Amino acid sequence: MKRIIISHETRQLFRSGAFRSLLVLIAGAIAFAAWSGQRSIDRQVEGANAAIAFEDSRRGRMRADTERYEAQVLAEGGEYQFASARHAPGAGPPQGTNAGAVGAETSKYLTMPATGLASFSIGQSDIQLNYVPVSMNPTMNITRNNELENPVNLMTGAFDIAFVVIFLLPIFVLAISYDLLSSEKERGTLAMILAHPISLRELMASKIIARAGVLLAGVLLLGLLALFAVGANLGSTDTWARFGLWMSATLVYTLFWFAMSVLVNVYGKNSAANGIALAGTWLALVVVVPTLVSLLATTIYPAPSRMELTTAAREAQTAAEKNYMARLDEYYYDHLEFVPEGDERAMDFLTVAMSNRNAIDKAVRPLYDEFQAQLNRQESLVQRFQFISPAIMMQLALNEISGTSADRYEHFLGQVYAFHEEWGEYFTVRFLQRYPLKPADYDQFPAFEYREEPFGTVLMRLLPSLLGMLVLLFGAILIPFLTLRRYQVATS
Amino acid sequence: MLQATNLTKSYGDIEALKGLDMTVEGGDIYCLLGANGAGKTTTISLFLNFIEPDGGTASVCGLDVTREPLETKKLLAYIPEQVMLYGNLTALENLRYFAQLGGHDYSQEEYREFLHRVGLQSEAMDRRVKTYSKGMRQKVGVAIALAKQARALLLDEPTAGLDPKASNEFSELLLKLKADGAAILMATHDLFRAKETGTRIGIMREGRLVDELSTDEVSHADVEKIYLQHMHAGGHYAQEGAGSA
Repeated sequence: MKRIIISHETRQLFRSGAFRSLLVLIAGAIAFAAWSGQRSIDRQVEGANAAIAFEDSRRGRMRADTERYEAQVLAEGGEYQFASARHAPGAGPPQGTNAGAVGAETSKYLTMPATGLASFSIGQSDIQLNYVPVSMNPTMNITRNNELENPVNLMTGAFDIAFVVIFLLPIFVLAISYDLLSSEKERGTLAMILAHPISLRELMASKIIARAGVLLAGVLLLGLLALFAVGANLGSTDTWARFGLWMSATLVYTLFWFAMSVLVNVYGKNSAANGIALAGTWLALVVVVPTLVSLLATTIYPAPSRMELTTAAREAQTAAEKNYMARLDEYYYDHLEFVPEGDERAMDFLTVAMSNRNAIDKAVRPLYDEFQAQLNRQESLVQRFQFISPAIMMQLALNEISGTSADRYEHFLGQVYAFHEEWGEYFTVRFLQRYPLKPADYDQFPAFEYREEPFGTVLMRLLPSLLGMLVLLFGAILIPFLTLRRYQVATS
Repeated sequence: MLQATNLTKSYGDIEALKGLDMTVEGGDIYCLLGANGAGKTTTISLFLNFIEPDGGTASVCGLDVTREPLETKKLLAYIPEQVMLYGNLTALENLRYFAQLGGHDYSQEEYREFLHRVGLQSEAMDRRVKTYSKGMRQKVGVAIALAKQARALLLDEPTAGLDPKASNEFSELLLKLKADGAAILMATHDLFRAKETGTRIGIMREGRLVDELSTDEVSHADVEKIYLQHMHAGGHYAQEGAGSA
């Protein structure tokens, strides 16, 4: 019985020119979003590769210098020394022998690999850069994004598949279902249908199944095509697991909007009133509430501006430079093991610079920690308030699924900080101990490998958003299910 | 076949039906007469379970329509004042859809045969019904009732606005259905057709059935006289009827 209505409704949909152009529009939007999302991921990868290549070539040149120097020492005899202020500029050992020079003047770029689904929801990746430089320098460089970004882009967000699903898909859903019952009632066919052995629930469910079936089949298929088109890591089970989650989230979110159409339709108003009510619901849930929540987060927990941070860093630097001798004493007081023999202490510019950097780091660190803490507080406020809007839940869910969530970035930064310590320590110790770096040492530099979070952790973080959407969906289904009995088929 | 027992229905403060008792047997064409607002459409809507009665029962072939809404609808066919169809489908496609909704399925030839029996031209069957006149759509409505093999028909002013020829053709179709043993309940304003095609006439006023006549016992003139007598007996009715119409 239902099958008849479903196939009738499907045929009716495809006969409508408006629906056909809507499908073309969705296909176009998803194709463009896939292209645009992938472009921004590609740009990051290119940026990371360029930065890595640049730093690698600098270290490579330094290493080549040490190889020549080593050969020279071997040929001419003498001691393999490290470059320091004792040597005249242009003469003596190359800079590459000085661990302080290598550690401070070259950076190691650490990258967070993009997941196979990264281009589906690029999230905050335009400001949370997925590659960060690590050097012997204080941590302040880690959070600084020197990428030039079009400010308009930052304001509007990216046009990725998440945007299409969260913002545009509900409009398509509402466009084909806002007059689900009201149009039949206005056309007079509702009474004709219900004079047959069909219940209103059955009719409603069949009409929804037809529409949701066609739309979701189209969207999920387009998602699959997009996945193939962006050439993501298709051999990895992680990619497919994430794609499965993307399909589930999209399914639940789309069905929620169909349920909203049903909910509005059971009140028996005319099509125009239904359309206005649903447009208002979309505006409130997709535009107004997320904006208000974001406003609330930035008002309650305002993050210090980057300008303030920079100013504070400069002040600390000036202060440090003023009394670097005192700082140097203080530094050696803290690190007795590094006090060099002889009287080269004050001569050693790099040692001074080193102590300066530490001083600046000490002064600026609390500001950065506070900055990061404020961002985390904003994030957790959004997490808590997500349940009032399916759009926020969906955005958080899609970021999580695509591996562009704040939490995964935090996980990456944790590893970055740990590696920063390891990297800094490696060079600091060798530098302060006046250890001359040999070419073979270049292979022993600490290596970084990003450790991915267990999939279970991702699922656990995804759970609140997915469950929240499911609860909303069931609520939106239950209300019409219970009130449909009172629907007025015939007007008195 | 169709039976109303002490059927009552109110819309807010307005009592639309006040304890209606009536029976329509198979082979009967029962014509409900009465001014607008007398309760004719309410009666039909109650038989279709489109609205719930406040009291009493409406039953089809012994089944209470509120308890067995889907079973009774298998037995019923409904032809409203305007048979509304899917304009972008052909008459054949519309007929097939509604027949399938009724739980039947036929071959393409059989569908054509149904449309042929109600007098629709062959070339019109494959045309989209948005080009149809009202008379043609009413014929499709009868074809749907035929395909559904309905035991009882509910008609709500089906001939209003039809030209005399189309109206006559429609009446002929009803007589065929009657000959097949269907119970037909028709709300109408057409006293002439009621006497001509109906077997019985019920006159309603203010939610009550005030008189019942057998058409073979009265003349055309009698029908009109009795009808008007009842309308005038209401006295105050003229104003009230206009108000609630």
